[in-house]
Order: sequence, then structure tokens, then C-alpha cells
Amino acid sequence: MNLPTNPTAQAVDNVLIYIFGFSLLLLLGITVATIYLVIKYRRSKYPEPTSETHGSLWLEALWTLLPTLIVLTMFWYGWSNYLGLRNVPEGAMEVQATARMWSWQFEYPDGRKTSKLFVPVGQPVKVTMTSVDVLHNFFVPAFRIKRDTLPGIETYVWFQATEPGSYDIFCAEYCGTGHSAMITSVEALPPEEYATWAQPQQPSDEPRGLIVLQEQGCTGCHSLDGSDGIGPSLYQLSGQQRKLMADGQTKELTIDADYLRRAIRHPEAEIVEGYDPVMPAYDSDTLSEEDLQAVIDYLLGKVKKAEKAPLDARKLLEDSGCLGCHSEDGSEVIGPTFKGLGNREVVIERDGKEEKIKIDRDYLVRAIKQPKADMVKGYPPIMPAGDYLTDEEIDAIVDHLLKQ
Amino acid sequence: MSETTTYTGFWQESPRPGILGWLLTTDHKRIGILYLGSLISMFIVGACLGLAIRLELIAPGRTIMDAQTYNATFTVHGVIMIFMFLIPSIPAAFGNLLLPIHIGARDVSFPKLNLLSWYCYIIGAVLAVASIFGGGGAPDTGWTFYVPFSTQTSTNVSLAAFAAFMLGFSSILTGINFVTTVHRLRCEGMTWGRLPLFIWTLYATAWIQVLATPMIGITLVLIILERTFGAGLFDAARGGDPILYQHLFWIYSHPAVYIMILPGMGVISEVIPTFARKPLFGYWAMALSSLAIAFAGSLVWAHHMYASGMSDLAILVFSFLTFIVAIPSAIKVFNWVSTLYKGSIELAPPMLYALAFIFNFAIGGLGGLALGAAASDIHLHDTYFVVGHFHYVMFGGGGFALFAAMHYWLPKFTGRMYNHKVAVIGWALLFVGFNITYMAMQAVGIQGMPRRYYDYVPEFTTLNQVSTVGSWVMALGLIIMFANLWRGMRSGRPIGLNPWGAATLEWSIPSPPPLENFGEEDPVVTRGPYEFKGVVADEY
Repeated sequence: MNLPTNPTAQAVDNVLIYIFGFSLLLLLGITVATIYLVIKYRRSKYPEPTSETHGSLWLEALWTLLPTLIVLTMFWYGWSNYLGLRNVPEGAMEVQATARMWSWQFEYPDGRKTSKLFVPVGQPVKVTMTSVDVLHNFFVPAFRIKRDTLPGIETYVWFQATEPGSYDIFCAEYCGTGHSAMITSVEALPPEEYATWAQPQQPSDEPRGLIVLQEQGCTGCHSLDGSDGIGPSLYQLSGQQRKLMADGQTKELTIDADYLRRAIRHPEAEIVEGYDPVMPAYDSDTLSEEDLQAVIDYLLGKVKKAEKAPLDARKLLEDSGCLGCHSEDGSEVIGPTFKGLGNREVVIERDGKEEKIKIDRDYLVRAIKQPKADMVKGYPPIMPAGDYLTDEEIDAIVDHLLKQ
Repeated sequence: MSETTTYTGFWQESPRPGILGWLLTTDHKRIGILYLGSLISMFIVGACLGLAIRLELIAPGRTIMDAQTYNATFTVHGVIMIFMFLIPSIPAAFGNLLLPIHIGARDVSFPKLNLLSWYCYIIGAVLAVASIFGGGGAPDTGWTFYVPFSTQTSTNVSLAAFAAFMLGFSSILTGINFVTTVHRLRCEGMTWGRLPLFIWTLYATAWIQVLATPMIGITLVLIILERTFGAGLFDAARGGDPILYQHLFWIYSHPAVYIMILPGMGVISEVIPTFARKPLFGYWAMALSSLAIAFAGSLVWAHHMYASGMSDLAILVFSFLTFIVAIPSAIKVFNWVSTLYKGSIELAPPMLYALAFIFNFAIGGLGGLALGAAASDIHLHDTYFVVGHFHYVMFGGGGFALFAAMHYWLPKFTGRMYNHKVAVIGWALLFVGFNITYMAMQAVGIQGMPRRYYDYVPEFTTLNQVSTVGSWVMALGLIIMFANLWRGMRSGRPIGLNPWGAATLEWSIPSPPPLENFGEEDPVVTRGPYEFKGVVADEY
């Protein structure tokens, strides 16, 4: 698992070898000295001690100063190489990672989502991470990188794969029953292969329900092929009988759409016999009603074809938090109101100069993607960039806003 | 007790007869024995849980228990071993037995408070055991109770946290007692420069107990508030911060590491001079380094958090301070080894444990350097290397020191000697099994196996199997050791005042010591604790 040219692994290994090397020398020295003294000065040979010394000031000074110098070099070497793990090289590919019990979701700049992390060999990758529930940790032993993911706080790591291959990603912050099963991988592909993989996706042939199951990490605990996991398998559910535990009582039912809906929205209410009550609830913020229906249809074998639901722009505005600063009724909050946006002229500041423009589609798209580029005069530059929105979502929002 | 001797010291002498004489005792020796019995019982429970963990990990996948049970097992193993065994172990058991005698006093400053501390311990232990069997199931958070997992899980976390809170009170009361006793009750001639090193380390430890333990009390109460009322202190969505919890937790729990190891260092500093018949090398360096460890050890807590998302500047500062605290520990090791030079060394069982302590502690301490440096910690953090590392320090250090203390002082307090040959066999098995178990853990951690793992990828199988086999050897050693000590205490050969030829005060009074330790006259000390000239060992 040694990758001598891997930049992060190299930075860590150099320090490890330096410190372990010194440690081994010291340990050997202490052990050999102890054994030698114990044998040489054994009581059978020396019934009385041959020295009554109470110590030696210069020896104390020596073994205070010398270790101080040695450990300070260790400290400094460790710190300077640690900076190599923190300073992301220019031109790194950006990936957004979301951890949840007990799976990962990686989102690429083009909006595609996967549960394994696909990267091109040779390119630095910056993974910006957050968690939706408890603490997790993104640990790739092969690259010697590790960082906690926290709910509500962003952290990051960077790495660069130098050889094609599959590298384990472990969760290294204890997170409950599925902690040790929260394994996925970095799939490092040669650049050409990666380019093929990353091409704009054809409208997927896979049913929407299956895509949702994979994106949401359901398959981390529930297999699709009948094999057992942390949770029961999802293989051929339709019409199956299940024994459930609810309120301390056992009941039996036939799997249907109602049951599946309950089992996803409120998994703790009824537990399949033989399994632990560990599945997190998927509320409508996490799993939209449309996606839930798609999953249920897929699980019951009703749907084979992908279907697209129209985007609800009003809901997007609400979910993305826009309405916290921009009112819909003309009142002033923190940012300009949305009311009457479609036929408004505003004064903006661009590169330090003021400019009067008519609001149009292009302006709105830019204002969402790079809000700090063209600030409307009189408002503070505090709006975060809307890079969590897909292009389609932005289009839908802009359409909606222009109609105001 | 056998009929050849009728004298049984404090075992017999008590203002109250029978069981009440123990449950209501204020005699520091009886309280020490109560503590020793309770914490060895807890150690045996914790060790069985540890063996179960190792057995589960002998192969990938499910072996003997499911994931939820496994998580509860390592949580309870950690809570028991840390809060109910390691933290009280040497200070509460041997500290109580010896501290007053070592300084020429008849008891501690506050004997009733001393008894209260034992009751706090028992209440804490009972609550902890209740949390395993009560409603929501045994706590499954790990002994660190990290949020937000600990505020969300449905298991009995609040009860377990409250148990640890009670145990904290026990620790604070012992600390207050020891600080006061060392300041106020030293006998005539017992200057600071004549204090046995064991007392210096107990004194340094007592300050940590008094100053740091309230932090964990507050932190655990915050968890209970968070769980009961949803206070939101650690919830970023409501203006809280999950990393804040980790700071609060480690502000106590790192100094607690020194509560566990410092008194052990004190025991080793008593045993080595006795069996080398030579004054401890560098007395003042040893005394001051104990205080330095207690002080600097309070400033390094965030080295548990390099991967937590804490700022890089904080990592710089805490990494630096961590390396500073390594120095006084190194000084101690060098002084112990130098004490052997030109001595007259006898490899009696306590000495074997002391030498094993130096070896294990050196490995644990040196492994700590790789964890203290920022870059290397990023790879090793939260892997089995850390598990191996802290077992080297806590068990190989603190645990072995307790075993050294038991072999060194139990004959004094029971008046009887155990079988030396059996003791050496037990020691050898324990030492070898220990190193197999935890060296394999460190190796599999360097390979990248995270800790608290119920299951693992096939690459980690071999080292896990080695570690599990090691745990069996270790268990055998423990059984032999405990059985031998028990037999020795019950029916071993009676000993005189001073079987080892040691020079501290406890060896000048009868074995077992009488109720108020010293006869009519208070002792007067005229020499240092390690001046062996003229001290003769009694045959036994």
C-alpha cells in the first residue's frame, strides 16, 4: 500500500519514519541498558551496592536538553508536513461529500452524484465535506488523509491518486451500528477513462427509484440481491410476508406501498424481526415525495422507465433559504425584494464602478452563481454563492423570478 | 487466618465489630482495602468484556455478537476500565493504604470525607451497571460520549453519564483529602525533600483531580441537558458547536490520563530503589518532573482533535505543547534506569513488574510522539494504533504499576507472602501476552484499521488473530497472578516487618499495620526515603 510518489502519503510517511526511527533507537537503548545493568549488578554478585550516588546535575541537564531538542525537531517536521495536507494545490477538482449513517454521497461540479468517489489519476482533488446526522470521518489509509465530517460545519481534505486503482475509504469517527460497514472507495481512473465516465450523462435508462436508492445510500445497508446486511434485503419485496415488532408486539403483514412508505418515513415505528432499530428516518426534506413514490414503485416492481418531475421553483427558493433575505411582498429585508423583479432597473457595482442595468435572465443567473460579482448598490456583499443548485434548478428559479 | 499468629492489625482492630466496622469505617487502611476490592472486581468485569471484544474480532463478520451488542461492549469496557478502575486504582487503593503511613500520620485529614468518596464510587458503579441492564439498552457511544451521536442514540446514555458524574465526585474528594493531608499531617522531620516519590506523584495527581474533574462533571451534565431538553449547545444548526464538546471533554479527560499514570510512576519509583538497594537517582528531578507532568499535562488536551475540524493554528499550539509534556516522562525513564547502575539488584516479583512497566511505558510514550506530531497523527488518529498506544500506557503502565504495588505492598497489609515462583510465571505470561496483544493492534492500526470497528476488511485478519491469541495468554497470566495473590493473602507464610529491606516508614511498623499505624509515640524521621544503609531485610 505504499505509494512512494503520492504527495499526501509521502508527507505523512516521512514524518512517521523519522519519529518511529528515533523511537526505536531510544527503546533499544533503554531496553539494552536495563537488561545489561540488571544482569551485571545482580545481587548474587554484588550483595551490596557499590555506589551511594543521589544523582548528577549534569546528567539531568543532558537528558533534559537532548530530548527537548529531538522532540522539537519532530514537532516541527510534523507540523510543516501537515501543512502539505492542508494546502490544496491550484487547479484541484472540487467534490462535495455528504456523510450520513452509514454511507457517502459525492457530488461533482456537474451535479452528478455517486456513492463511490471517482477521480482522474494525476489530478489533485479537494473534497469538501459535511454530515447530515452525527460525526463521521473521511479516512483513506492509502493516501494517509483523514478529517471529521460535522453536521452544519464544512471541512475538507485533498489528495491526488498517482496510480489507477480502488482505494478504501473508511469512516474513522464512531457513528453507530453501521460504523464499520460505512466503507466506500476512491476509484482512480486513468484520465482518458475518467473523461469518458464524466461525459454528460445520457438520460439514464435506470429507473428513478433505483437511482434514488443508490444516491441516498440505502444500498449500504439493504442489498438488492437478497444477501443479508445491516437491514433486510430489498430483493423482490412485492407480496412478501414480514414479521414486524411494533410497540413490543409482533405482527405480520404483506408488504405493500403503505408499509414501504411508513418504513422509510418512520423506520423506528415497526422493526422487521431480527434487525436492530437503527435506520434513520427519511423525512420530506431528505427524500422528496416524488422520489419516495419512485422508490416505492421500483421496490414493488411497478416501474421500469425513468420519469422526470417538474421542478417546483417556489419550493427551491424556500428550501435554499433565499426567502430569508429576499422578500416576496416588496418589504426590505437583507437583500432586494423579489417582488416586481421582472421589470426592474437597478444600479449595480462592478469593478468599483456604478452601472445601471435592466434585470434579465443572464443577470439573474450570474447573481445566483457569483453573487459578489455584480452587487446591487446599497446592499452588503454577504450572499453565499448558489453552487449547491444545479443548472436546471437555477433555470427554474430564474423563470419563476422573472414572472414576478 | 491461621492459628500460628493471632496478631492481625487493622483487620481486627475497629471501633465497630463485624461488617459495620467496614461499611462505617474511617480508617484509611480499611477504606483502601474497600477500594482495592471494588476496583479489582470492576477490573475483572472490564477484562472479561475486553476478552469478548477480542474474541469477536478474531475473524471478519459476526463471530459471537451483533453490532449493537459489540458497540455496547466496548463502551462499557471503556467506561468501567477508565472511570471505575484506572482513575481510582492506585490513588484510591494504595494511596489510601499508604499515604498517611508514608508521611508518618495516623490517618488522612478528613477521614469521613474519605469514606464518603468510597460511597460516591459505589453509587457511580451501581448506576453504571444499571445503565447496562435498564430500559433503552446499554450505552453505545464509546466512553467519550461524543455529540451529536450521544444526544441522539436511544440507549441509556444519560444514566451512564450521571454514573461518571458521581465517580468524578469520588475522585475530587480523594484529591482534596490528599492535598490537605500532605500539607498538614507530615510528622516531625518529614520535610518535602524526604517525601517518598510515591507521595510526590499522589500529591501532583491530587491537584489534577481537584482542578480538572469538575470539567467532566459539567460536560456530562450538559449532555444530559442536551438529551433531556434539547439545549442545542452542541448543535451547529442552532448556534452550537459539536467541536466545543470535544474541547470540554478532553480538558478533563487528557489530564485524567496523568491521574492514571502518575501514581504508577510513583510506585515504580519506590520499587526500583528498594530492589537495587540504592537511592533513587535524581530525587528532585523525579519530584519536580511529577509536578511538571501534572501542569503541562493540563495544557495538551486538543491533541486528541487534530482531525476534528479544529483550526490549524490550534493544532500548531497543541502539537508543540504535547512534545513539551514528553520531556518530564523521558527524564523519569532515564532516572529509573540510572538507579540500577552499581546497585545490588534482586529480581523479586515487584521488581519484574516495575521493569516491565518501564518497557511498556517506553513503547507507549514513544508511540505517543508519532501521535503528537501533526502529519503522522492524521494517519494514525482513531485507528487501532491509538487503541494499542493507550493500552500500552494505561494497562502496560498504570495496570502493571498496580500489579507491582500489589506484589510489593499486599504482604505488608496482610502480613503474609505469596509464592514467588508462581508470581514469576504469572508475570511472564502477562508480559508476553500483553505485548503480543497490543503490538499487533498497533501494527494493524498503522495498516489503517479504524478503531471501534465491529467488522473489518480481510487484509486485517492475521494481525487481529494474533492479537486475540495474545489476549488469551494475557488472561491466563492474570488468572495465575490473582489466584497466587489471593492464596498468599489467605494462607501464605507470615512475614516480619520488612521483607524487602525497604527504607520508607511503612516497613518499620508491624505487618499488618495496627489501627492508628504508629504506637503511642508519633514517628520522627531523620533520613531520606531511600537510604538503605543499616536497613536489614527480614527473612520470610
